[in-house]
Amino acid sequence: MRGITALLVAVLVAVPPATAMQAHAAGDEPGEYLDRRVEIWNLFFRLMVVAFTIGAIVSGTMVWQVWRFRESNPNAKPTPYEEKGEW
Amino acid sequence: MTLEMQRPRPVWQIMFSTHHTDVGLLYLITSLAFLFLGGALALAIRVELFLPGSQFIADSMTFNRIFTVHGTTLIFLFILPFASAVGNYFVPIMVRYKDMAYPKLNAIAFWMIPPSGALIWLGFADFTWYATPPYSIISAPGPAADMWIFGLKILGISSVLGAINFVVTIMKCKHPDMSLGQVPLLAWSFLSSSLIILVAIPTFAAALLMLLTDRLGVSGFFNPAMGGDPIAYAHLFWFTFHPEVYVLVIPAIGMMYEIIPRFSRKPIFSYNSGVFAFVLLAIVGFSSWAHHMYATGMSFTEKTVFMVGTLAAVPASAMHVFNFLATMWNGRIRFATPMMWSVGGIALFFSAGAGGVVNAAMPLDFTTHDTYWVVGHFHLFVMGTIAFGSIGYLYYMFPYVTGRMYHEKMGQAHFVMSFIGAVLVFYTQHVLGLYGMPRRVYDYPAIPEWIAMNQIATVGAMLIGVSMVLFLANMIHSSAKGRPAGMDDPWKLGGKYYYPYQNKNPQH
Amino acid sequence: MYIGVVVALLVWVGAEAWNVERLVEHVPEDAEVIRVTGQQWFWTFEHEDGTTEVGELHVEAGKAYKFEIVSTDVIHSFNIHDYVVLMDAVPGRVNTVWFAPTEAGEHDIQCREYCGLIHYNMRATLYVEEPAA
Repeated sequence: MRGITALLVAVLVAVPPATAMQAHAAGDEPGEYLDRRVEIWNLFFRLMVVAFTIGAIVSGTMVWQVWRFRESNPNAKPTPYEEKGEW
Repeated sequence: MTLEMQRPRPVWQIMFSTHHTDVGLLYLITSLAFLFLGGALALAIRVELFLPGSQFIADSMTFNRIFTVHGTTLIFLFILPFASAVGNYFVPIMVRYKDMAYPKLNAIAFWMIPPSGALIWLGFADFTWYATPPYSIISAPGPAADMWIFGLKILGISSVLGAINFVVTIMKCKHPDMSLGQVPLLAWSFLSSSLIILVAIPTFAAALLMLLTDRLGVSGFFNPAMGGDPIAYAHLFWFTFHPEVYVLVIPAIGMMYEIIPRFSRKPIFSYNSGVFAFVLLAIVGFSSWAHHMYATGMSFTEKTVFMVGTLAAVPASAMHVFNFLATMWNGRIRFATPMMWSVGGIALFFSAGAGGVVNAAMPLDFTTHDTYWVVGHFHLFVMGTIAFGSIGYLYYMFPYVTGRMYHEKMGQAHFVMSFIGAVLVFYTQHVLGLYGMPRRVYDYPAIPEWIAMNQIATVGAMLIGVSMVLFLANMIHSSAKGRPAGMDDPWKLGGKYYYPYQNKNPQH
Repeated sequence: MYIGVVVALLVWVGAEAWNVERLVEHVPEDAEVIRVTGQQWFWTFEHEDGTTEVGELHVEAGKAYKFEIVSTDVIHSFNIHDYVVLMDAVPGRVNTVWFAPTEAGEHDIQCREYCGLIHYNMRATLYVEEPAA
């Protein structure tokens, strides 16, 4: 978990300056303008990659849980709380 | 041993009763009636958009009226009264009090809903549920707009009265042996959503009056022709209605907190994180309202502030999702109808939230603002999360209310069809928005992608429509002729969970 | 634990969005001003040289344009979806947004904020032409 956080922080530090430099290079040339389509849609696709990754993890977990912990699963066993008779 | 209908009584005895379960029943039936009415309007919208050109709605004015009343009805006359129904039934029991704190006030709050529903439906205004000025001031026709304003005014008062009642019931009337930290999460959800209402609603109440006097021509708060500013209305409106989104969603989450542990046969993974997330959401919910207004010409600084405020609401929602997943983990889950609706609701809640995070990024507003992306996004909340949680809870409380069991297979079919339908409609609408289709349009150019996606959405909506007919049949038939439920344990789950009809929670 | 991951992700989203917004809001100095007027239910465009167009807008590829968007009646929203241009036309305010078309072509202009009866058909066409010389 710590590894993921570190990775994210690294991405966080690295990505914005990189994009900022490219864009400035494009804007400095006379007659060369920033293409807002490129900037905005690229941002969208970057976010989508992350969103779909997280989405796959969470919904995958949910599907697996639903399959694994349903009471009709052959491996289903009473929860500890059931045995104590209170939950 | 049932909550309601201990014995058959004449209708008027229920209608004039102030007992919390009677008022709850009135809320319940009213909200369901408006669910079907508002849903029928949704189907009309979807059929009209099945193909470009005019289908069966004669003109755009009628169409505009339909989507306005659709939104107003489902938010104010279905979701809010349904939450009040659940709160009326369960909050007094959960805090171990004989009734709501102010029973007459409770009945008054309910009886404000039918007249305001009548005002909204008889008026049939056309200025969207946002009552967009200056359109609503200078262009919206006749008495319809004024009737809408009065209807909303009355509904606002009703909400505030209901909220006061819930807060007092929970804070002051709970059993002296119970601390606030022992109050079940469903009651906590009503406490936090009621507090949001008390803070948020007065702003909109003021804005509505200003809108009315603007329409009468005696003031010009939002009318640029008289030196006013329509953006001021946007701020006032969203200051109420962004937090209001949490008012709508928090009780639905609370209902899931009842159902999921019950059918997983485990206690809630973390009660404290649930309480914490409710309270946190109630506070940070007030920091994000202007993200609805990025395109109105806000400065970069304003946009940044409200983007941060919007993102700040996410951890609280993530805590709820994590809490649900952790509760289900290692459980022995019975997928009866209420559980299916709850789990489906969580899945859609997650995707709505993920879409919301993406959408909070301010440059993306240029691509998504006021397109069908927005429509898909908030419907994943209001339909996918709130209606799913609510309908699941309705199935859950059905045996306790009627003493009879609903038809299980029909309930499951209802869920499967609605879930597939919701995915078809609302996921497709996200993509449709990215292709640039504006919302609130009666007709659209014959762009092949737009047509295809509109048709997918319409098919999905029809699927939901059919499932709702099943639902109605199931509710009506089962409440009269259903198999009597074993009231100690309608789903035969075992265990010593406390039952909603018990006046005492054995664990508390 | 997991909340840390969520918060880190949110910070990343916020930082990326902040950066892109900063870039796209920076209007080039030499952008040509086009005054856009929205009214029920059509668009009027006024160029710097005084020529006025209704329902269509002609611009040249390779130049930057800054739209000054106003409305004479209710709120509209000026939108060229293909170029990700969107800004509300609010009566009593002048909102600005800029873009630089890159190649010749035709694009739809639409109204994206509900403005009444013919909102659905409040459309115009953007013609991007090759540079004159």
